[in-house]
Amino acid sequence: MTSSPVKAQAAGTDGRAAMKQFTRALGAAIVILVVWRVTTVGLAEGYPASFWISQALNGLVLGGVYALVALGYTLVYGILFMINFAHGEVMMIGGITGFFALQFAQARGWMEGPWPVVVVALLLIMFIGMAASVLIGVTLERLAYRPLRQAPRLVPLISAIGASLFLQYSVLLIFGVSPHSYRKPALISGGLRLGDVFIPYTGAIIFVISILLMLALYFIIQRTKLGRAMRAVAEDRSTASLMGVDVNAVIVVTFMLGSALAGAAGVMLGFHNTVVKFNSGFIPGLKAFTAAVLGGIGNIPGAMFGALILGLIEAIGPSALGIPTEYKDVIAFTLLVLILIFRPTGLFGEVLSEKRA
Amino acid sequence: MPLESATRAVRTGLIAFAFLSYLILIGIPGRIGGPALPVLALIAALFFWLILRRESIGQFRQVSGVGQDSSEGKPGWEIGPQAGANGSRVRELLPSRFGTPLVLKGLVSGVTTGLLVAIVSGIFATAMGNGVAIQPVLDKIVPLNIAALIGVSPGQIAQSDVSFIRFLVQVLLFAGAGILAALVAAAGRNEPAQNALTGRLSAHLSGPTIRSGGRFAGIALPFVLLVYIAWLGLPGVTAFGTNEGTVRLLLTLIATGSGLFALRLCRPGREKLVVAVLLGLGVVTMPFILDQFQNSVMGLVFIFVMMGLGLNIVVGYAGLLDLGYVAFFAIGAYTYAFLSAPFSSPYISSLLILLGISPESPLLGYWMALPVAMLTAAVGGVLLGIPVLRLRGDYLAIVTLGFGEIIRLFMLNLGELTNGPRGILEISQPALFGLTPVDVTFGLLSSQGWIFLLALVSSALVAFIANRLNGSRLGRAWFAMQEDEDVAEATGVHLVRTKLLAFAIGATFAGMAGQLYAARQINIFPENFSLFVSIDALALIIVGGIGSPAGIVLGALALKGLPEVLRGVDEYRIVTFAALLVIMMIVRPDGILPSPRRRIQLADPEEAVGDSDQETGEALADGDGGKEEDQ
Repeated sequence: MTSSPVKAQAAGTDGRAAMKQFTRALGAAIVILVVWRVTTVGLAEGYPASFWISQALNGLVLGGVYALVALGYTLVYGILFMINFAHGEVMMIGGITGFFALQFAQARGWMEGPWPVVVVALLLIMFIGMAASVLIGVTLERLAYRPLRQAPRLVPLISAIGASLFLQYSVLLIFGVSPHSYRKPALISGGLRLGDVFIPYTGAIIFVISILLMLALYFIIQRTKLGRAMRAVAEDRSTASLMGVDVNAVIVVTFMLGSALAGAAGVMLGFHNTVVKFNSGFIPGLKAFTAAVLGGIGNIPGAMFGALILGLIEAIGPSALGIPTEYKDVIAFTLLVLILIFRPTGLFGEVLSEKRA
Repeated sequence: MPLESATRAVRTGLIAFAFLSYLILIGIPGRIGGPALPVLALIAALFFWLILRRESIGQFRQVSGVGQDSSEGKPGWEIGPQAGANGSRVRELLPSRFGTPLVLKGLVSGVTTGLLVAIVSGIFATAMGNGVAIQPVLDKIVPLNIAALIGVSPGQIAQSDVSFIRFLVQVLLFAGAGILAALVAAAGRNEPAQNALTGRLSAHLSGPTIRSGGRFAGIALPFVLLVYIAWLGLPGVTAFGTNEGTVRLLLTLIATGSGLFALRLCRPGREKLVVAVLLGLGVVTMPFILDQFQNSVMGLVFIFVMMGLGLNIVVGYAGLLDLGYVAFFAIGAYTYAFLSAPFSSPYISSLLILLGISPESPLLGYWMALPVAMLTAAVGGVLLGIPVLRLRGDYLAIVTLGFGEIIRLFMLNLGELTNGPRGILEISQPALFGLTPVDVTFGLLSSQGWIFLLALVSSALVAFIANRLNGSRLGRAWFAMQEDEDVAEATGVHLVRTKLLAFAIGATFAGMAGQLYAARQINIFPENFSLFVSIDALALIIVGGIGSPAGIVLGALALKGLPEVLRGVDEYRIVTFAALLVIMMIVRPDGILPSPRRRIQLADPEEAVGDSDQETGEALADGDGGKEEDQ
């Protein structure tokens, strides 16, 4: 620590160059390791093609759900440059509310009715979940984030962690520790068999609904006046406000949109995993964040594709690498770390990266 | 009624509801039973009164963060010129809003709260009346709560036998509370006289005699408490009847905390030195006079003090938000476990047999294992540090969080190495020259007391090292790096080395803490090392005051010690504490006992700009996204 400033500067640049070399070498090593592992272990197991296809389809379904949650992260990050750490919990609230709506519908016997009734009831359940999520998301913005909008960056993050814990443990106190299990109505509990590949109806429905919701969001953002306002605020908040955009309203709408998507994802994840509990939003939330980073945070199509890619990797990864499926969370986190090391702007680039560089 | 006061009244109602829903959440109505609703209404009335009184005096204006437009400036209670952000100061100081009678305001607030309570209990009651089981297994607390709120029995709710009148009564009750509060506030409107009284009183209180007396009392308090605790420990002495152990624990926590304040009250120089030495002696006697339970709690508190001090180096000094700090804690604990447990895991045992060592006997004692655990943790710190060198603040937080989870998942799933969820059992206890202190002191020092003593000594050592580091060249480099990495680098701070040293030193302390924790627990399992350890450690330094060692001790006492006193309400700990975290960030982001030198440790350079230039607040708000590390 006694080197002169000039020397230290030189050392700093040397250090950076060395770091670059080091990360490159590390990257090459990881690629070789993965390829070696896949070819020697994963493919050597000799699973049939149908196994890979059904795993991939599973991955796409999960990816669709992650995409809906990831969009919430990306939307908020694009506008406020903050990570809404509690977004996973917003999703979980949607799932829990959806569960109770489902229970209500089942108690009323709507789930055994003719198929139009069931479809309407299911849609209603999803809307109720979305509404609950929107309520929580907007409250969160109002109470935990808005007062901190000018605070240093880490202060809202800590507040968000607090909010995330608060939501989780409030749900724990109200609804208990044990998981609530979704009972699928008979209409959607079966599946489609194509040769050796089995596609559950719920999976197909989830994927279709996710895509529809994503298209709707894309339409809102690209084609409506509101979307234009959102893009303007994301680009430059102060200029947008000078142009007559109500920045606060746009931020609230952003939270509403993100939370609505998360609520839908929560309900659908409930049907897919069949259980929800107080902490069932946490890991999917982290994974959706990973997906958002994978696609380049702030980049809306990036989040969608990033999520689908993450879903695929998570579904295929363990079998391809020949490791137990308990490690699928490890794969997701490792992927997050690797992306941030090698390509911090994500696969498709941060939309706003040049502005903030 | 002008729109502005109407929205403010509604806002008051909303905040009151938020507080009430917290009380409902932690099950207060269910415990009170029948009179729950009037009690809640009274609490709401108290809250309304506080707000309305303030409005009627008109001296303070709430610029608190909750429900304020961001253009109005910094959160917090502000007086005087600052308050006139969107109105003249004169108007603020007028005795009241002449336009709106207080009663109307109170009514609006009350009706808002009442409606919300009615809606929430109505939704729950409808759901339960329609066969929805809120809690699958323990379907007890929620129905009791809701029933108490509505004023019926849980059975009636289950049969959906609740008349609409009940909800109307709720609304009316809260509306009444609002009116009551307004009437009381209006009655006390002749404030000047009272103000003069309290003003004189406070002037008197701050007079030189009283002040020095208070100072003396403050310094003496911890010693008095300590003597009382020791006296309580004598056989045959009881305090307040039955629950003596908890009372003593609470007193111990207060004594330790008040010791910190006593130090602050001292004049610098000889007085401070003498008091510090006496306090040190007093604290060291604690392990000898407390019993096993109290010692184990205090041991945990001081293990977390070590964690907090270590994390403080990473977060407080170097400004790197690390949410995966538990990883190093776990590494320290598992390293010691491998080295000292008779049978740690199949893999380790076979390795030992391969090396010709009997796996039955511990490999290394506590003291020999200490450098190993510290070194392993430090290596872990560097290994984590290298990949995240380039990451910015919030990305760093998420990646470190991911690392923490990865370590836990490995511990859980690498059964061959770590024994998986079955954990590692019978970790040996620290000895002193081959003797156990319990034997040496003839049982005066319990085994947990010995751990507490070790934790005390270690955390004092860690605090000393951290303090020296803070003042050193390295500490200044950390501070510079935290302020602005680019400028720091330009002025000759070697960023890579400085960051890695922060991670390594922080990890070393966590490793020490982890080793002691393993010794304290005797058996360790992967679930001891969940994300919550990281969050607890982070929270205690934030609550206590980031960058300030005394604040960290205080934070640990409050967050790890108090929940043990409040046993039984432990399940509400996380909820309470999470809410506090949010409120703390809004109201007082620099902690209870902030470090004098670094007012805001988490600050970005933009903070200074935002402070000096309130008018352009909104325009500057995107400045927080402006500064990034170059990628």
